[in-house]
Amino acid sequence: MPRAKSKKEEPVEAESDVAMEEAPTSHQPEDEMVVDQDEDEDAGDVEDDKSDEEEEEEAQRVRLLPGSTPTAASFEFLNEGHTLGNALRYITMRNPDVEFCAYAIPHPSEAKMNVRIQTFEGTTAIQALEKGLRDLQELCNVVSEKFIGARDSFGASSP
Amino acid sequence: MDYDPMVMDDAEALGPVVKISQADSVRVKYELSNADIAFANSLRRVMLGEIPTIAIDLVEVEENSSVLADEFIAHRLGLIPLNAEGVESLLYGRDCDCDGFCEHCSVKLTLHAKCTGDENMHVFARDLVPTGERVNHVLGTPVLSDAEGLGPLILKLRPGQEVKLECIARKGIAKEHAKWAPSAAIGFEYDPHNKLHHLDLWYESDAKAEWPPSEYAAWEEPPQEGEPFDYDAVPNRFYFNVESAGNLSPDTIVSEGIKVLQQKLAGLIHELADEGGDGANGEFNGPRSPEYGTGADGFGGYTTPFGNAGNQSSWGGAGGTTPYGTTPYGAGQGSWS
Repeated sequence: MPRAKSKKEEPVEAESDVAMEEAPTSHQPEDEMVVDQDEDEDAGDVEDDKSDEEEEEEAQRVRLLPGSTPTAASFEFLNEGHTLGNALRYITMRNPDVEFCAYAIPHPSEAKMNVRIQTFEGTTAIQALEKGLRDLQELCNVVSEKFIGARDSFGASSP
Repeated sequence: MDYDPMVMDDAEALGPVVKISQADSVRVKYELSNADIAFANSLRRVMLGEIPTIAIDLVEVEENSSVLADEFIAHRLGLIPLNAEGVESLLYGRDCDCDGFCEHCSVKLTLHAKCTGDENMHVFARDLVPTGERVNHVLGTPVLSDAEGLGPLILKLRPGQEVKLECIARKGIAKEHAKWAPSAAIGFEYDPHNKLHHLDLWYESDAKAEWPPSEYAAWEEPPQEGEPFDYDAVPNRFYFNVESAGNLSPDTIVSEGIKVLQQKLAGLIHELADEGGDGANGEFNGPRSPEYGTGADGFGGYTTPFGNAGNQSSWGGAGGTTPYGTTPYGAGQGSWS
């Protein structure tokens, strides 16, 4: 404990040096800190942007795959699987403006799910995807209401 | 096929229908009809794996002179169902600002037992005592559903042996670890007469005689003798049997499951709205690198069409500048970030 304290009292540069030397043996958070400090030296405030965008990137769960055109697009969903994929595929196919919709999980050990949507003229694949999501949400609402209704009436009839 | 012509007409008018056949504190049995198998399966999957509950995640052992190893006990503790009522007001550990754990993202439980008599002592889940601040007075309390109110047996102590430990229960989902599963089991069944031939039943001499009929067989018309196979038939009625482990009531599991599914969708719509305004449309112009998305996380020198909406995107806030006309989601983009 006293040793750790004396380390803290050292000047800032010295601390970062010590940390760098200790990097291989230190635990995760300290390790990350060393990397950050390293980049700080090269590119001052750019580093901030990077960490910001990394967080944003994590939240970025849908992206358009290359080669997509307005009416025929492939989307890649991160951290989604059959739970969303199949239901979304079904509901998107129900949209009369959609020519084709399919989903795939290209590799089971990658948490990625691809959805391909091709639409007829007059709408875009992105709009069709959004409509699919909204329709599915609507379906969830209806089933939720129906379930709560059924539960309440069941509870009323047989307490 | 028998039910198709009539029921399907109704289906368009009625939409999905839910009928409950049994409901108590342990299970709810219901039939979901006029829905697609894809949706029914999503609901099943989401109830199995993605409803947040609370379970012991960290155990600090102060004293353990029992015959069981620390990690062995820790594993058992993790599997003990804890009451998850009000878990939505608890934060995930990773989202909390605290260092390690605090009352906003965890519930602390202590277990201290020493065998002082000369008979072996049983330590039950009842002996886990929630301590400190809690979101509400039931969250994290062990579920005691047996008649004596003891809960699951954790371990046994011989005279003189002692365990003293402190447990941190955290919020999580069963996709990460099964200890967070809200349901003990979810029964999912359709087409009890196997008219659709989705099952290939094994048999010695006659499948019909050897396989017991499903409890739902009486609910649906049995196939007529010599009825031709209907290639266009799709499953339409789904029988769920949601059995709770005690941490959430069975009907809460169903409603929460739908809620989780909706949150998933809402999150995606939200994101699409962000992207639709300034990102997705711009993307069609000009060449893109295959690492389009991953490149964006790089070095914050350049602005990405995807990035933080409203931040520093050169596409500005105007949804109307897209070649596809105004998207319905262009307008709101500035407010999300």
